[in-house]
Amino acid sequence: MAIGVLLKQVPDTTAKIGVSGGRVDESAVSKWSMSPYDEYALESALKLKESSGGDVVAITCGPARAGKMLTDAAAVGADTLMHVQIDGQDSIDSTQIQSVLVAALEKAGCEVVFCGKQAADTNGGSTGPGVAMLMGASCVSHVSEVSADAGGYTALRASSGGAERVHVSAPCVFAFDKGLEELRRPNVRGIMMAKKKVIETVSPEDLGVSMGESRVTVISHSPPPEKPPGQKFEGADSVATVVSKLRDEANVI
Amino acid sequence: MAYEALDFYDIDALLTEEEKMVRDMVRDWVDKEVIPNIEQACHEGVFPDKWRVDLGEMGILGAPLKGYGCPGLSYIAYGLICQELERGDSGVRSFASVQGSLAMYPIWDFGSEEQKNHYLPRMASGELIGCFGLTEPDYGSNPGDMITRAEDKGDYYLLNGAKMWITNGTIADLAVVWAKLDGVIRGFIVEKDDSGFSAPEMTGKHSLKASVTSELVFQDCMIPKDRILPGVKGLKGPFSCLNNARFGISWGAVGAAQSCFNSTKEYALSRIQFGHPIASFQLVQNKLSWMLREITKAQLLAFHLGKKKDDGTWIPEHISLAKMNNVDIALEIARMSRDIHGANGILDEYPIMRHMANLESVKTYEGTHDIHNLILGKHITGIQSFTREP
Ligand SMILES: Cc1cc2nc3c(=O)[nH]c(=O)nc-3n(C[C@H](O)[C@H](O)[C@H](O)COP(=O)(O)OP(=O)(O)OC[C@H]3O[C@@H](n4cnc5c(N)ncnc54)[C@H](O)[C@@H]3O)c2cc1C
Repeated sequence: MAIGVLLKQVPDTTAKIGVSGGRVDESAVSKWSMSPYDEYALESALKLKESSGGDVVAITCGPARAGKMLTDAAAVGADTLMHVQIDGQDSIDSTQIQSVLVAALEKAGCEVVFCGKQAADTNGGSTGPGVAMLMGASCVSHVSEVSADAGGYTALRASSGGAERVHVSAPCVFAFDKGLEELRRPNVRGIMMAKKKVIETVSPEDLGVSMGESRVTVISHSPPPEKPPGQKFEGADSVATVVSKLRDEANVI
Repeated sequence: MAYEALDFYDIDALLTEEEKMVRDMVRDWVDKEVIPNIEQACHEGVFPDKWRVDLGEMGILGAPLKGYGCPGLSYIAYGLICQELERGDSGVRSFASVQGSLAMYPIWDFGSEEQKNHYLPRMASGELIGCFGLTEPDYGSNPGDMITRAEDKGDYYLLNGAKMWITNGTIADLAVVWAKLDGVIRGFIVEKDDSGFSAPEMTGKHSLKASVTSELVFQDCMIPKDRILPGVKGLKGPFSCLNNARFGISWGAVGAAQSCFNSTKEYALSRIQFGHPIASFQLVQNKLSWMLREITKAQLLAFHLGKKKDDGTWIPEHISLAKMNNVDIALEIARMSRDIHGANGILDEYPIMRHMANLESVKTYEGTHDIHNLILGKHITGIQSFTREP
């Protein structure tokens, strides 16, 4: 069984993001990383492989720099690496990306697909459902855990205010939330093996996909508004004010 | 914010993909595990056991050694590991240096096949901790005059004497101890439960507080015959271990300096005095520029030395120069950083004072700054000046 994991390389969540001329300035991004929810998808795919067998196929669609992320995935245990190389991702809409990913999954023979619930850069959240739709697969979102059993897979997902266990059969797509498990770290042995792994680099044309025209245009990016300065409270008298602010303004209690 | 390492001359471009991956793995670990916990570890004076487990799991202990379950990385990769660990704290790098270069290395190079198979895989995985006993209360820079003695009692060796300042001593499962057998320095593997052996911890340090430092005491300590390292006699044994550890230190010091530089740059840009960021004043810029200059030179020195270690064209004096220079500039940078941080520089909110205090030890251990000067002095002139005797 081949478990497909869809990975996206995004600016590291701790990297400084600059906007210039109404566009995120990619050349100024100091660090690119695997999108955090994708890390949980990869972790769960590796767990599934360990408990029930199979090969983990890591797939990304992105520019040349994204290849490094696949090697990182191999260092923690991904078996097969596929890179659909496209440039100018900015002018490609999510449906186009999804059709490319579905073709890659088909080529790799994956009927079970793991991905993040949304990418940390665009926060789009359409990849899982979109890929499932094109594959004719069921889609379970906000998943934190998947296990295999006779006839299919059981996924644990967050439902509003609680948890839900659902059972699906292949083909199926699981879009991951932050999982319960700690992510594994690479180690030297994994890095040595990863170095020897070949990344299969293909173009959309190689996969027989004609991308067509994008139907979405990003008009502009803008940075988030500056955070208001912090507020300071002192003394026992301020407890009530602080509690009400935490409850009503910060929504943390 | 993501750590952005100072790399003015783009040494990154000279590294292999594997070296960068190993470096990034350790960098991430230091960011997630060391930096958030180091102040508490120092406060409590402990080396957290989780760090031992993690270092073993990452597979970086004994980095450049090949076979027997060891990683088999390049010396450059070993250097990068030390650099990242010491960016976190010199104590963490010390743990790794002692384990890899001072305890695993002598077994790997001078041990019997049985000793290698018995100890190395479990030391590489972090299951067993090693320490290295050379320094004695009365013999630091000239270990050749050590007092610790081993006697051949037919069925076993009897060890008597004491070692001091031994990193990892109290937490170690085994100690590589240098002692004189019939007047000749030999290496012995002492295990923690051997009779007549104890390793009390030394307390009261203002430096390397997250590293364990101990005495090793041997009172009629009986050790089996097969625990002598068969492959080496004389000072060459301990000195070849020191070469590898000193090499690692020359990289580690760069890490500590990078940490100070980053904190200082950020602080200088945000601290306003006389209506302007202090980074806008020429005197402060001069200091920042000096730091950049010295870190860049130290990086190039460490990198080139790494290449020489990897291709085997190095001599011990090359290592002396790099250890001496890089620790020296790192300590000076830490002091300058403390100055630029003003009063804040003494707080544990910033890494500065901790690096500064740590580097005082690093300047002294593994050959003091001036002992390395004497090594180079002898290399230049052909005249030894360690002792007055010819
Ligand atoms: C935190 C820490 C951890 C350590 N860990 C270990 C360990 O794991 N294993 C181990 O074996 N040792 C360890 N050491 C010991 C360390 O290697 C010694 O401290 C070092 O070799 C210096 O010896 P000393 O302290 O006796 O100083 P000394 O040798 O007494 O030197 C004192 C001063 O005199 C100078 N000096 C000495 N001789 C000369 C000379 N001929 N000419 C000019 N100047 C000279 C020195 O440069 C120095 O400035 C550790 C030390 C510290 C502080």
